[in-house]
Amino acid sequence: MRWRAGLWPVGRWWPLALHWPSVLGRARADAGSLLLAAAVVAVVTLLAGAVPPLLRATADEAVQDGVRRAGGDGDVLVEARMERDDGPNGGRVRAPRLAEDVDDFRDRATDELGPGLRAALRPPVATVISPTLKITDGSVLRTFQLAYLAKGDGADGGPQADGADDSDGGPHVTWIAGGPPRPAVPEADNHAEVPAMGKPRPVQVALSEADAEALKLRPGARIPLKDDAGNIKKVLVSGIFRPTDSTDSAWRSAPALLRPVSGADGVGSTRFAGLLSPGSLPDARLAFDQDALRRVVRFTPDPSRITWDSAQAIASKVVALKANSGSSGALDGSLKWETGLDGVLRNIRAQVGAASAQASVLLTGVLTVAVLVLLLAADLLVRRRAPALEAARQRGAALPTLAAELLLESTVVALSAAAAGLALSRAVVPGASWEWVLPVVLAAVVAGPAFGTLAAARATRDRRVPANRTARRWARHTVQLRRAALEAAVLIAAVAAFVALHQRGILPAALAPGGDVAGPGLGLGDGPLPASAPALGVVAGTLVVLRLLPAGLGLVLKRALRSRRPLAVFGTARAVATSARALPLLVLVTSAALASFALTLDATAGDGLAEGAWRTVGADARLDVVPAAAASTPALARRIAAAPGVREVVAAQVTDRARVVADSLVVGPRLVIVDASAFRRLLAATPLPDAPALARLGATGHGDVPALVRSDDGGLRSGMRLDLLRDGAPTIRLTAVGTAPAVGDAGDVVVVDAATLKAAGMPSVPNTVWAAGPGAARAVAASAVDADTVLREDVLRARRAAPLTSGLLTLAWVSAATLLALGLLGLALGAAASAPERWQTLTRLRTLGLRPRDARWIAAGELLPPVMVAAVVGPLLGVLLARLMLGSLALRLLTGQAADPALVLPWWRLGLVTVALLVAVAVVVPIESALRRRRRLSEVLRAGGG
Amino acid sequence: MSADPADRPLLTVRGVHRRFGSGPTAVHALRDVSFDLAAGTMVALIGRSGSGKTTLLNVIGGLDRPDSGTVLVDGADVTALDEDGLSRLRREKVSYVFQTFGLIPVLSAAENVGAPLRLARLPAAERERRVELLLELVGLADHAQQRPGELSGGQQQRVAIARALAASPRLLIADEPTGQLDAETGLSVMALLRGVVESEGVTALVSTHDPTMLALADRVIQINDGRLDEREAS
Repeated sequence: MRWRAGLWPVGRWWPLALHWPSVLGRARADAGSLLLAAAVVAVVTLLAGAVPPLLRATADEAVQDGVRRAGGDGDVLVEARMERDDGPNGGRVRAPRLAEDVDDFRDRATDELGPGLRAALRPPVATVISPTLKITDGSVLRTFQLAYLAKGDGADGGPQADGADDSDGGPHVTWIAGGPPRPAVPEADNHAEVPAMGKPRPVQVALSEADAEALKLRPGARIPLKDDAGNIKKVLVSGIFRPTDSTDSAWRSAPALLRPVSGADGVGSTRFAGLLSPGSLPDARLAFDQDALRRVVRFTPDPSRITWDSAQAIASKVVALKANSGSSGALDGSLKWETGLDGVLRNIRAQVGAASAQASVLLTGVLTVAVLVLLLAADLLVRRRAPALEAARQRGAALPTLAAELLLESTVVALSAAAAGLALSRAVVPGASWEWVLPVVLAAVVAGPAFGTLAAARATRDRRVPANRTARRWARHTVQLRRAALEAAVLIAAVAAFVALHQRGILPAALAPGGDVAGPGLGLGDGPLPASAPALGVVAGTLVVLRLLPAGLGLVLKRALRSRRPLAVFGTARAVATSARALPLLVLVTSAALASFALTLDATAGDGLAEGAWRTVGADARLDVVPAAAASTPALARRIAAAPGVREVVAAQVTDRARVVADSLVVGPRLVIVDASAFRRLLAATPLPDAPALARLGATGHGDVPALVRSDDGGLRSGMRLDLLRDGAPTIRLTAVGTAPAVGDAGDVVVVDAATLKAAGMPSVPNTVWAAGPGAARAVAASAVDADTVLREDVLRARRAAPLTSGLLTLAWVSAATLLALGLLGLALGAAASAPERWQTLTRLRTLGLRPRDARWIAAGELLPPVMVAAVVGPLLGVLLARLMLGSLALRLLTGQAADPALVLPWWRLGLVTVALLVAVAVVVPIESALRRRRRLSEVLRAGGG
Repeated sequence: MSADPADRPLLTVRGVHRRFGSGPTAVHALRDVSFDLAAGTMVALIGRSGSGKTTLLNVIGGLDRPDSGTVLVDGADVTALDEDGLSRLRREKVSYVFQTFGLIPVLSAAENVGAPLRLARLPAAERERRVELLLELVGLADHAQQRPGELSGGQQQRVAIARALAASPRLLIADEPTGQLDAETGLSVMALLRGVVESEGVTALVSTHDPTMLALADRVIQINDGRLDEREAS
């Protein structure tokens, strides 16, 4: 190995002799350009490096938020039949340790969850619940259930007196009167066999204060109850309690234990419940048929313990439990699992997947423009260095050596900038991702050396223009063919990406409806092709513009030549001369188009959110009246209607999961019983779509009650005949006569006219009030009733602030701003690259008598056409692509709409893109002019350029 | 009492100094240069590379300003004119022909020739007539619609000469007009310049390296290290 001054050691391991003084000299001379490229790499790296970890953190928040919002839908329920209690003499044997069996069942279910799922769930609540009984003391339809609750892993269930250890057993209560239910038999008869068909067995239950008051019962009283078969049940009140914590999750298993619940069966009945104790549970078992009592354990998810990563395992385990669940018809004690948690997680995964894919679309756009800007910067750098590179070649520098020197420089610059960007990203957000950064770093590393080496090779290659005309034509055609091949490749890629996006959508297949809930994680979806469709579409569109621009400018030049304004001629002539340069126009149009695309996406999603809020609430404000106050709903509606600023008010009975039989299948739609004409007026007072079919609800056909239906999965269709099931009351026959308007976010909806239904024998108890008008929110908020108030503005605000939505909308804005900044930088770089030729021409014109101030106009005339094209075509192209592609981006998953939102054009923001580009020309030209004015004309003419 | 304008020289250069840089590394491109040029003559400016030819032409044409001295073109003090004044001077009295032609590539030969007339806002019909005449003069009437890229080097320089003559200047400054042409074409370009001096009555100051061109000049001015060494043409 040998060393030379200023050179790398030349040896076997390093075959190239780098000329360090040249490397350092070039870097010093072009420090500004290198720093500019480094700044682009650093900024884009910061953005591209920060988005994936931000998305991951947002995904965690979204999962937790989604599980929290799902409420009871996310609960994991497991049910198993009780062991038979047949006695040796044909009777049934009392099981005094039945509560312990329930605890064993709960423990068995807990064990089956596995550690991952168990860790994500709160302590279970075991419930034993009786069939629904009818209260027989009046004409109003009232039902009753007996329920036993046992929390945690402990042994003792039932009500716990306040002050007891609350880690085990039932929820804590304070006894207002009487005491907890006790066994109905003396201890000696604990294991006695009783006749299977004997007289009613007594059972003690405790009632909540609210239930006891509504039923007007005191301790010791008997509740008048019958089952569906008319068998009388002997249920006695042992005591009256007040829950210590009515929000205790244990009560969620049987809310009627706390207070009467209206519309629990969807048809207006009011349900009550009595609380069993471990002592009275065996009596309850004997009071009903062998398998009449349902034994259920409820696990409620703890959102704070579920993350995006753990959600995959949880969903898989839930699916596995459901798949291995025992048949509902099995007579053994096998566990039957039921939960909507997998569906909840699937929806959240779809939302996160959609947000991830939408983010990848935006990021791909930013990266595309960043790469183009880096190519432009490299082009400018090489133009500046061309004389130095040519001189180096003439001094004998080998091309590989020059390439290695340039590569070394660009690698140091690009990697340092990328490292700075990633470090900044890590400082700002939790972590940094390098995958997205690669294209930018690669472009920054390779572009300069590639262009530089080509320039050096061209400068010194011994190739002359052929003297033969045919050979010249062939050479020209070869160049044209190369360009055409490149353009065709981009067009084919754009079409392929567009087709892929349209056919498969932006969601990864595993996250699409029906996909595997345990599918892939955050990423590019089904590969980069669909995500790059907008960027490729814009590039393809720009290539078409590039083909048309010279011809268009030629026409403009022809007109200018006929005009009396000399400046127009020279400006246009310069523009024609530079119109063949692809990179500056590519940067300008793609940046303007993709910024417009991002702004359109933001506006469309924003409008979709507003529309989704309208749909969710159904009006400007909604009141969900608690069952206890339901009777006052009509009066409440009248009060709200009288308030100032309220245009329309409608009261309705809304019942979720009503039992409707359609095509022999039981479905659980949202049942809306409402004054149809008032409901239509309400819809007309909102931006929600009109539902003319509501007019058909007043008439009867086939003797059935007409109904409007809506179904996400087609389970309910117009023309169907439906049976509305009621506890303890005859079924109501409905005929679907049209499509129902959307009511909230329910997938299946049945709308029936209140008066028609009442005529059919089913009066309604309104529990919902919708109010529309500018004063609706204030009127509803001031209504002072026991009700949940849902304001559209609040819903909209909450949705905008939701992690995924706010994250995506912020990214759209940041992308648009970055793209615009990159476009303006591209404009400046393009102007700098063409400046030497431009000012050489202007100087020539100055020698012909052009005034200095007119030179500025000619410079503007040269720069303006491509910028005008970008300012006009860019936004148009962005909007066109948004029109073609937004439908495939699944924005509905974020906006909460039934269908993808309609395209919204953010006119003033698009105008801002146009104005920004035009203003940039107005800034660049005077700056360039001021810089050039310092140089004498003689210097420019002598130097032959810049 | 002023001299009769007819007797006045078209160009008067007096005591012109031009230095580039400062201190010990300063380059004195022109040192006390003084001479006069009579109207309607063709003067060759010769000298080695770096002798100061181009600097002198630039100072005369107002493309550069001298450190001291005066330059009068047709009575106008070039050194005292502001930028607008210089523009007017170049539009009306002084024109240039460069070694690299300096044509606008996307404009045809006729449009290039008409460029100064556009800047002078001459009516279109008059402009077209003048362009036609000039192209006829330089022998390129048949190439009027061709673009510079479609013309040979000699033809391009002829277009450049026609353009320089378009605004009927009093002084035509040509900086190495044959520098990029072969000997035969160069000679024909110089012959053309000689011809237009005679036909248009313009004064031409032509810098050149080529001694064979000197035969066409009325007068030869040699410049060495920024100083004049004048001799009469043979």
